[in-house]
Amino acid sequence: MSATSIQDELRRKQILIADDSEINRSMLADMLGEEYDILEAEDGVRALAILQKYGTEIDLVLLDIVMPHVNGFDVLSAMKKNGWIEDIPVIMITSETASAHVERAYNLGCTDFINRPFDERVVHRRVVNTILLYAKQKKLQGLIAEQIIEKERQSTLMIDILSHIVEFRNGESGQHVRNIRALTDLFLNSLIAMTDRYPLTRSDVGLISTASALHDIGKIAIPSEILNKPGRLTDEEFQVMKTHSMVGWQMIADLPGFQDEPLVKIARDICRWHHERYDGRGYPDGLKGDEIPISAQIVALADVYDALTSQRVYKPAFSHEKAVEMILGGECGTFNPLLMKCLSDVAGQLKDTLHSAEHSSQLEMRNVVSELHRHEEMSASERTLHLLEHERMKFNFFADMSQEIQFEYTLSPSMVSLNAFGANRLGLEETILDPLNNEKVLSTLAEAHIQLLANALRASTPAHPVVRRDCRIIINGEPRWSRIIARATWSADDPPQYTGAIGKATDIHESRMQLEALKQEASHDRLTGLLNHAAAKEQILERIGENPTADFAMVIFDLDHFKSANDTYGHMFGDEVLKFIADKLRESIRERDIAARIGGDEFLAFLEYHGDLEPIVKRIFTSLTGGKYENFPISISMGVARIEMVGADYDDLFHAADKALYTLKRSTRGNYRFYDPATMQDMLSVISPIESEGTEETEEKGETK
Amino acid sequence: MTLQECYAAMGGDFEEVKSRLRSERLVEKFALKFLADPSYDTLTATMASQDYEEAFRAAHTIKGVAQNLSFTALYQSASALSEALRGGFTPEAPALAARLDADYAKTVAAIRAYQEGCGK
Repeated sequence: MSATSIQDELRRKQILIADDSEINRSMLADMLGEEYDILEAEDGVRALAILQKYGTEIDLVLLDIVMPHVNGFDVLSAMKKNGWIEDIPVIMITSETASAHVERAYNLGCTDFINRPFDERVVHRRVVNTILLYAKQKKLQGLIAEQIIEKERQSTLMIDILSHIVEFRNGESGQHVRNIRALTDLFLNSLIAMTDRYPLTRSDVGLISTASALHDIGKIAIPSEILNKPGRLTDEEFQVMKTHSMVGWQMIADLPGFQDEPLVKIARDICRWHHERYDGRGYPDGLKGDEIPISAQIVALADVYDALTSQRVYKPAFSHEKAVEMILGGECGTFNPLLMKCLSDVAGQLKDTLHSAEHSSQLEMRNVVSELHRHEEMSASERTLHLLEHERMKFNFFADMSQEIQFEYTLSPSMVSLNAFGANRLGLEETILDPLNNEKVLSTLAEAHIQLLANALRASTPAHPVVRRDCRIIINGEPRWSRIIARATWSADDPPQYTGAIGKATDIHESRMQLEALKQEASHDRLTGLLNHAAAKEQILERIGENPTADFAMVIFDLDHFKSANDTYGHMFGDEVLKFIADKLRESIRERDIAARIGGDEFLAFLEYHGDLEPIVKRIFTSLTGGKYENFPISISMGVARIEMVGADYDDLFHAADKALYTLKRSTRGNYRFYDPATMQDMLSVISPIESEGTEETEEKGETK
Repeated sequence: MTLQECYAAMGGDFEEVKSRLRSERLVEKFALKFLADPSYDTLTATMASQDYEEAFRAAHTIKGVAQNLSFTALYQSASALSEALRGGFTPEAPALAARLDADYAKTVAAIRAYQEGCGK
């Protein structure tokens, strides 16, 4: 008995009782509580949640049929779907004697029934029996698996010894046999992945690979002078040599008693036909195409390949690349085109495969083990289950300790489980059935976010299953920024199926708010609340990039006589004037337009327009100029440049507007002017493009602050 | 009043429940617990609001509990009512519900009398 199963037997068994009546549950708990640990569930949802959480730490489920929302049959179906029913026995509690119920429950995998009214002795006996039965079954499964592995190991060993004898006579090492087996395995798997033309099961692959070791067994009957002759064989000698395939077949065919064994059948085929050729020009029977069993075709290919890459008395070893090239080039006989495709598909793996075959005759052991796993479908070995239990315990512990919201979502049944902290923080139950239609869930996380998250998870792949999303979660009625990181879970099927997700939501509200405040601060002018120049440039470039063919114009203006306002009334007053102008500017442009203070008393507006620009400019100009702030008369000068005229380069546009403004200010003030390349090309500019970009153009800024 | 007399008063089968639960103490514990069972209130409320699916479940639960406690009379009326509601409303249901009301009242009265008698 293994250590884990002793542990398993010493552990107190745990029983889950799912019944909607508290009295019924506590009656059962009283009857069983002395020997067993009892978990209780008042409905099917709770029962599933407990199963999810404890897994095979639960040794038995006592399950009522009639329960609200999720009834006993639903629980049983979910257990079947998740494979839990293989490891966790279920006894149905019922007073429904209708045979339809009984049959349905049995079909879903329930083990036994307990009828109401409960009889203490009956309940006890059924529970003990079922738990013992399952424990025994687990133990037997383990024993059988171990025995099969041992048997397989021994028979492979025997085959190895046998084929080694042949090779020993042949003056070759045992390496050839191992290589053939590894290559056969590789080609077969590649073939199965490529086509279903040949009805090959996983277990056929194992058998063919094992039988491949016997392909040259007939050589035992070839005289050693011929077998080990260093030079070329004469025609007569070659005729003798060729008999080895028929002889091998005969030897196996004469084996008394085992002729119906699949391994023996396959070995016969391989011995006899591994020198046939796809074009019918091989020996001994001249079979053609798929008249030759696929097992023999594959071993033939493996044989040729290994012969090419091995050193022989009459030839050096070719490289892997050269060998593949020679076979594909048809220099070594004709093969099934599908096999040629296999060869070129696996060409990259050949070297490693043979290298690992050198070290391991354990390759086939892996096959046997995986074979066992496949036979048992979903039921993992006992040991694995214990590891899982341990991991689950660890997970639950950390989840409970963690100060973050953690969740697990299963698609079928559609259910979310939250850790205790998460449930508490969100004000939700720990287990929620059908969360996508649950109002409380939707009131904490908007449906659109859930949908986007679900789509992203579904669109992920087993190789890249992690999805991130920042969104607002409502906590105590207040939206808070959270970062959800989730990992999709995929089944081991081929192709893998999306089965749900695990994940967590971390509160990033403070840092996010801080970031946004910093962003706001970094991009805005503190005095007027307009964008600053750098942020305006960024947005303008973005706007042009989004819509490169649209008509845009840039407007730059400054306040006339602003210096005197400062001088006369003081800087505080000057600031008030700037704010006043900024508000006016904000009012006079449309929502999609961009307004910024680019320094001192200089402002910028960026407009999209259709058709005639002048009325728009005029409207903005008029709304800004002409009024008074307290006693200070507001007058502005404005330069305008259009992308249509100067192109979409930001600096060109800015300089053009700047030059228009400069040109205007040289003659007059309190007006606006459009950039005209014919007259303004060589003008100086008024303003520096962005404060940080240099100061060489500032000499004309007489009136700026 | 003894527990046996309590069972006799409600039309239950004390010997049967004692043989199954194998302890008079347990019988008493669960019989007293029955007073706090919410299923009857659920049944009354759901019958009134014509939520017959929920009413079926409540009747079914009463039936199961009564059966486990050998409250035979109540078990029989709950069993009849739950069968009448299994597929939704049937014309017999109201009369059967009335019968269950009576049996429930009788059962609860007997348990209360016992409870007062032994001061629990």
